[in-house]
Amino acid sequence: MDKKLIYALVGSALIFFIVSLVIFLQSNRGSDESEDLSAEKDVIEEVNQPELINIKVFFYTERSRYMRPILHEVEFPGLREDLYKKLIDLLITGEEDYISPVPQGVRLRTLYFIEDENLLVLDFNEDLLLKFPAGSGTELEFIYFFVDNFCYNFKEIKKVVFLVAGNKIKSISGHIDMENPFYPHYGYLIDQ
Amino acid sequence: MLYPDPYWTRVRFPPPPLTCMNNAIMKNKSLLFVLLLLITFSLFPISVCIRSFDHKDFTRVVFEGDRGFEYNFESSKTALEIKLEKKINVKKKIEKFKNSRLVDKVVHRLDKNRSSFTVHFKSPFRIVNHFVLERPFRVVFDLSKAPGITARARLPETGGGTGKPQEEESLDPPPARKKIAIETICIDPGHGGSDLGAIGKSNVLEKDITLQVSRKLKRLIEAKLGLRVLMTRRGDTEVSLDSRVALANNQKADMFISIHVNGSFRRAARGPETFYVSLKATDQESFQLAQKENKAFDEIEKMAEEDELKMILWNMAQTEFIKDSSKLADFIQKELNILMHTRNRGVKQAPFRVLMRAAMPAVLIEVAFLTNPTEEKKLKNDSLLNEVALAIYTGINKYIYFFNSRYN
Repeated sequence: MDKKLIYALVGSALIFFIVSLVIFLQSNRGSDESEDLSAEKDVIEEVNQPELINIKVFFYTERSRYMRPILHEVEFPGLREDLYKKLIDLLITGEEDYISPVPQGVRLRTLYFIEDENLLVLDFNEDLLLKFPAGSGTELEFIYFFVDNFCYNFKEIKKVVFLVAGNKIKSISGHIDMENPFYPHYGYLIDQ
Repeated sequence: MLYPDPYWTRVRFPPPPLTCMNNAIMKNKSLLFVLLLLITFSLFPISVCIRSFDHKDFTRVVFEGDRGFEYNFESSKTALEIKLEKKINVKKKIEKFKNSRLVDKVVHRLDKNRSSFTVHFKSPFRIVNHFVLERPFRVVFDLSKAPGITARARLPETGGGTGKPQEEESLDPPPARKKIAIETICIDPGHGGSDLGAIGKSNVLEKDITLQVSRKLKRLIEAKLGLRVLMTRRGDTEVSLDSRVALANNQKADMFISIHVNGSFRRAARGPETFYVSLKATDQESFQLAQKENKAFDEIEKMAEEDELKMILWNMAQTEFIKDSSKLADFIQKELNILMHTRNRGVKQAPFRVLMRAAMPAVLIEVAFLTNPTEEKKLKNDSLLNEVALAIYTGINKYIYFFNSRYN
């Protein structure tokens, strides 16, 4: 066979191979992109649909020293801190026929979640110190009302620390040490 | 749904689609590679560096490893030996600490697959504290000269007296010690001065009840047991929580009894309660009930306990005395249950600030609930306060008997 013809055949085979390879890669990329687009679309659709989350809010009752749950359905607001604020609102507002251990006037200034430490920081206004009825029982009731409700409903929260007007405090009314974070004490809850 | 999925993770970070088998194989290959890398890495000897710092009251010696290791240690009069079951890499075989107040040198020995560090001291020493820290892995020893750390200014026998909060004294507890006899008991009447404590409907004040019970208890202990009794306040004065425990620590009290009257948001809450310290609140009765009732209890409780274990490493003076404190609380609670006709709910644990720094068995007694109208009425009765003091005294006496039979 003529040498030139062989070169031409090999050359065209090589070009055909390269062109096929490029087309194959392009088509694969295209399918990835379309999958990405459809995934993105799913995400957008998911964002647009408000997700409802069930939260069990535990309250004290006059007759029992255990907190009992009331089921609430809340709309997920998009940011976890906003979801936590919704729970705070439910806790501070309270529930009829149940006891909320939050004195009148006590408000949350701010909250933030430190993800690396699974730590929720709750910062209350100064009324917590000024209006709190003394007693170690009242302090424990107040502390675990927040700690247990948050740790129970949001598994990413493992401990809670309390601040007043942005500062750490030694104790609320002279009993419980407030400088360290609190872990949940599910002995206060009855999950029924 | 008990625990809603962290929705935001799904929304913000959708997992990349694994569309072909190759990706899975590549993933497995990379996992295998990481695994091999880890195995190879674990075969290398651990690198340890040793540091020593002089603090005001103690000298800290730190062994920092590039990863964790198991160890045990033995101490003699002037040396501390830390033994490891692994090979160790160190820069120097003998490391001298010329500027250290207490540490002379650290000698490293390697024997086949075992290593040891011997810390030689310039004078006899004692271990004040010992704990392990993570990230990076560190074994820490706090050490002081054997006879005592430094001379401390002693507080007056009683605190307060000015009507103002006392100035914070040295809060660090003296080094832990085991005594062979109980000689001094510190009674802490809760609140005082402008700190009224709980207030009953008919204006009975917690600070008054605690002082009355404390005085009665003091008289009983002095008269019947002949022991030295300290009071953190003798009159209606305000004493800070930290000063109260500083007094007990500095006067080397053998027992700390804090007396309080309880309050609750629930008017029906009643009965005496005795607490000893813990970073996590617990109470035996509700713990058992929660275990029975709560579906997710085990998993959550285990998680919390793991964190709690890490927290125990935190420098809490009371840690060493928790068993004794629990026993003391148990004796006192049983006597109070008999007196107040309450069924035994067991003793409780909570992070009481006044107990945490006590370097001795320490309990906090909540005599009754001032927020309960029936109990408030009872607390106005002086003869009931006499009986409360007697019940606490009996509990203390039983603990002393237990202590003497165990340690002597």
